[in-house]
Amino acid sequence: MLPIVSITLFLPLLGALLVMALRRSPASIAHLIGIVTSGLTLLGALWMWSRGVNETGFAQVEELAWMPAIGAAYRVGVDGISLPLVLLSAVLFFLSFIYSAKVKQRPHAYVVLMLLLETAAIGTFTALDAILFYVFFEVSLVSMYFMIAGWGHEDRQRAALMFFIYTLLGSLPLLLAILGMYLGSEPQTFDMRAWIDNPPLSGSAAMLALAAMLFTFAVKIPVFPFHTWLPAAHVQAPAAGSVILAGVMLKFGTYGLVRFSLQMTPEAFREAGIIVLAFGVVAALYGAFAALAQSDLKRMIALTSVNHMGYVVVGVAIAALAVDPAVRATALDGSVLQMVSHGLVTGALFLLVGMLQDRAHTREMDRFGGLLKVTPILGWSFVLAAFASLGLPGLAHFPAEFQIFLATLRVEPVAVVVILGIVVTAGLYLRAIGKVFLGEPREQWIGMKDLNAREVLSLAPLLILIVVVGIAPALLLDVIHKTTAALQF
Amino acid sequence: MAAELALLTPEITLLLTIVFALVAEMLRLPRIALGVALSGLLLASGLSLPLLGLDSSVFGGTYRIDGLSVWAKLILLPATALSILLARAELGGSDREGTVYVLLMLVTLGSLVLASAGDTMLLVLGVLLSGLGSFALVAYPRDDAATEAAMKFFVFASVTGAVMIFGLSYWFGGTGTTLLSDLSRLEDSRLIASVGLVAVIVGLGYKASLVPFHFWAPDAYQGAPVSIAAYMSVVPKIGAILALAQVVRDLPLGSDWPLLVAVISVLTMTYGYLAALVQGKVVRLLAYSSIAQAGYFLLAIVAVGTSPLATTSLIIFSAAYAVMNLGAFAVVMCIGRSLDDFAAAGRRNVAIGIAMVVFLLSLAGIPPLAGFVGKFLLFGAAMDAGFTWLAIVAILNSVLSLAVYLRIVVVMYRQADTQAAAAPVSLPLVNLVIVVAFAFTLGIGLAAQALLGPMG
Repeated sequence: MLPIVSITLFLPLLGALLVMALRRSPASIAHLIGIVTSGLTLLGALWMWSRGVNETGFAQVEELAWMPAIGAAYRVGVDGISLPLVLLSAVLFFLSFIYSAKVKQRPHAYVVLMLLLETAAIGTFTALDAILFYVFFEVSLVSMYFMIAGWGHEDRQRAALMFFIYTLLGSLPLLLAILGMYLGSEPQTFDMRAWIDNPPLSGSAAMLALAAMLFTFAVKIPVFPFHTWLPAAHVQAPAAGSVILAGVMLKFGTYGLVRFSLQMTPEAFREAGIIVLAFGVVAALYGAFAALAQSDLKRMIALTSVNHMGYVVVGVAIAALAVDPAVRATALDGSVLQMVSHGLVTGALFLLVGMLQDRAHTREMDRFGGLLKVTPILGWSFVLAAFASLGLPGLAHFPAEFQIFLATLRVEPVAVVVILGIVVTAGLYLRAIGKVFLGEPREQWIGMKDLNAREVLSLAPLLILIVVVGIAPALLLDVIHKTTAALQF
Repeated sequence: MAAELALLTPEITLLLTIVFALVAEMLRLPRIALGVALSGLLLASGLSLPLLGLDSSVFGGTYRIDGLSVWAKLILLPATALSILLARAELGGSDREGTVYVLLMLVTLGSLVLASAGDTMLLVLGVLLSGLGSFALVAYPRDDAATEAAMKFFVFASVTGAVMIFGLSYWFGGTGTTLLSDLSRLEDSRLIASVGLVAVIVGLGYKASLVPFHFWAPDAYQGAPVSIAAYMSVVPKIGAILALAQVVRDLPLGSDWPLLVAVISVLTMTYGYLAALVQGKVVRLLAYSSIAQAGYFLLAIVAVGTSPLATTSLIIFSAAYAVMNLGAFAVVMCIGRSLDDFAAAGRRNVAIGIAMVVFLLSLAGIPPLAGFVGKFLLFGAAMDAGFTWLAIVAILNSVLSLAVYLRIVVVMYRQADTQAAAAPVSLPLVNLVIVVAFAFTLGIGLAAQALLGPMG
């Protein structure tokens, strides 16, 4: 059988090498290679999707000996939790490449870094070996650091440095936890499947490992109060960088929360579940209120990510606390679907803000007005994406958040206060739409051009997917549920 | 006897190479000396390969042929060859060029003796052999800075060497022999064991530039030619660390020596990176970084005897450290010693920029580069030995180290606003070293099994 997971995983890396080899070629060639490679990667991901997942455990597993002396190997594969995220990454990268075709500044280096990032992202979601996971997890930091430092906005150097050091500080405890589980496993191995089937640590050792992992993922997700790197990095990153950062890289945290914390230290997670739940609730509410206080459009959207990822944390914590397997599956279904929805919706929003900034060179809401009349396509697209983000039924976030809240009501009804976050986000999006798009257009924006073909091409698929996931979530949930329903812990 | 000499072929080859190179230098044929040195080093490395997997010793247990000592040859001999290439690019054509090659190989021989020591007397011999050559190398430029650095180095070495010999006399008194393998007899005399160990740590610690015996290092690196600094930060240091591993291997368990080593490790890492954070010269920054890296080596020393990962991690990190550090110094040779020289260097020469970023990120321990694999195993070894707190400190220091190394990266990719800085010079030999170091820095992570396998 064709090793399609590995092919999908390393295609972007090959593309990056090709661009490096052709570094004297014109910019258009570099962008073309980027688009074609990420398009092929998307096809690979769709192929993986068509092969589907197993009832239990991982499907499409590919293995290769690497360091047998210490039980590390190249192991990749997918299940219902990782497969949707792989597909999401492939879609977002492909569209980001289309959107980025305008980058004139050092285009080769830009494409190389983006492709490297794509391999890192798909690798993080498909790795079944803890070392391999960590390698991809960290490589993404390096690429994103150079992305922000090289193509960001005004204050990019500081933001990039802060991002790199902060998230490295965040991810190193994971390394300790991985080592701890390695030393605790019998026979010693880095095989994540073995750790999931047979959690290697127990008692206080498991609790320590969980604490280390929770710290790592809390920084990555990010959960209040570990979120301070996020607004700076997002605001300074180039638009495509923001799309990837929010759409894909924040999912590393929530994915790790499920894959590592929940599946490898289930007992400890159940004990600490209520604390995690509290963090999730606080993060969701804090993110909403903090976003409400922003006047910078990009910063506002960045902070709504804290809100949406907070719901995911709530969902995972509820899954850990739930006794009834059906409720647990519902909570996890909602969490995984929320990750995908957030990727689509926030990706669209960041692209839109990027397009707006390309035209107006500002992100201050107060300086706009009446853009719906000047640039109707951009305006209506923003309205659709904003409505999706605030959880309107029929759009992508609704089925996910609904399931999370449903499970929360069954397990820990008090935590449903988190629903307040929706009211706040609704308020802030309506305010943003009112300020930027409604009313009479200001004179200075009268000549603003609406979206061109390239921009529509990069945006439309996201908007379509937002509606599709909203109307027919079963397309994704069937795959997700297969795995979540069978989880034993 | 013949069988014992057969086990020593790499060392004997190296010694003969030194003699031939010296003869060539005396005949004023530096190019021949260079050729002899390089081919001799490669031959000696090749002759070390069949020894892999052995665990024996020669000369009545005084000289060990085990995993550590054979891998020391396989790492230090090629590293010396790379250093000689760097020295050729920097000092080629100058007076006494051939002496540099001879001295470099002599110091390597001393380092190999250290790494293979099974006897306290060989320990002393190794320290002296590698020390004497080093003083001359540092003083090579014969200017004020170099002379002062060499003087400092010499005084430091004399004092620490004397302390070491004094302390070793306690061990001799306690066990009645100079063999390291008899140190287990000190089971009941804790005090004697500790006095001797402290003395050994002083003597070897200066060579490995452990805090607080590191004061000579930044000045010596700064005063010496860059190629010599590169060499000094790699070969004698690894030799001394491996010697420390050979010593503690035989110390009676149950004493507190791992704690002592752990404390020194914490001091070394933390001080090294904190000091590196404020340096304005890249050579000094790398000097402090190499001090800090010595602290990481100690994570494995702590675990010697308790964790099977100790030897593995020591060897892999030695190999990783050798290539990434030599690579970073080689880039300094191309660009310049000051941080200002690095301004926008990454934009002017893309290839060298990428190479430097890879070396620095590897030094910081970012996956999937060589430094990551090494540090990962070091952390594992320390945790396996019950020193989780030490691994945590090491990890926090890794964050600090990233801040240190990114200082160079940030400058390298700054907007080219001034034309003051000259374009990086391109030296064929240095480029060769960079390419080799780059390949290994990327490859050791993927091919770690090649290093792990033969050790079982």
